[in-house]
Amino acid sequence: MLEVGQELPELGRVVTAADVKAYADAGGDRNPLHQDDAFARSVGFPGIIAHGMFTMGHMAAAVTAFVGDPASVLRISAQFRAPVYVGERIVAGGRVVAVDATTATLETWVRLERDGETLWAIKKGQAVLRLP
Amino acid sequence: MDPAAQGTVYPDVVFTIDPARVAAFRAVFDQTDGVPPTFVTAAEFAVFPRVIGDPALALDFTRVVHGSQEYAYERPLREGETVTVRARIESIKIKGATGFLTVVMELRDADGELVCTARSQMIERGPDA
Repeated sequence: MLEVGQELPELGRVVTAADVKAYADAGGDRNPLHQDDAFARSVGFPGIIAHGMFTMGHMAAAVTAFVGDPASVLRISAQFRAPVYVGERIVAGGRVVAVDATTATLETWVRLERDGETLWAIKKGQAVLRLP
Repeated sequence: MDPAAQGTVYPDVVFTIDPARVAAFRAVFDQTDGVPPTFVTAAEFAVFPRVIGDPALALDFTRVVHGSQEYAYERPLREGETVTVRARIESIKIKGATGFLTVVMELRDADGELVCTARSQMIERGPDA
């Protein structure tokens, strides 16, 4: 039984170049920003950045682990904020903010630490789950 | 990016929820079962080349970053099924040198029933951003 205020277990991972490459192949986004270090630098980033959808996929994995079945996810959304660079560790989390007879709504996020500061790769994420 | 492209509807694209590709996607996120909720991105990227390459839209994809994303399901996707994806430019807003593009894609099953609606906001950064 889900209750308002309940927290998702946090899910962390270090993002590797191999992860980003595997994601590009599976997801189909082959933008060189996510594959080519020289290109990423040429457009003003300090190196390859992970796809926003990689970070959202990680957030979805945390939600799926919490609910147990990906088919229970009725709606999921994310706003992308800080870019995530290869080598950084991202942590997904969330909490239950509303429950009714058939659904639960979670507020979700993905954060990272950079230069001693907490940044939000995803802020104001949301997931709506179908309750069994 | 040309605001006049707002409202453009692109030709339908057929996309199969290939179990091998779903498995590869799951593996990236250490998942074992089902279709991950964000797998729809693979269907979107079967269509995006037409949107990105549309000369009437005049988007510079090398300056594009992903602003936000939403998926709303009517029912879960099933591995092996084939869906039709229709993309529409919902809105284009220009603020200074920055352009905001919202693309909506509807995935429909063989019976024409809506399965999932995907809404993506792309941000085209100015050349000096």
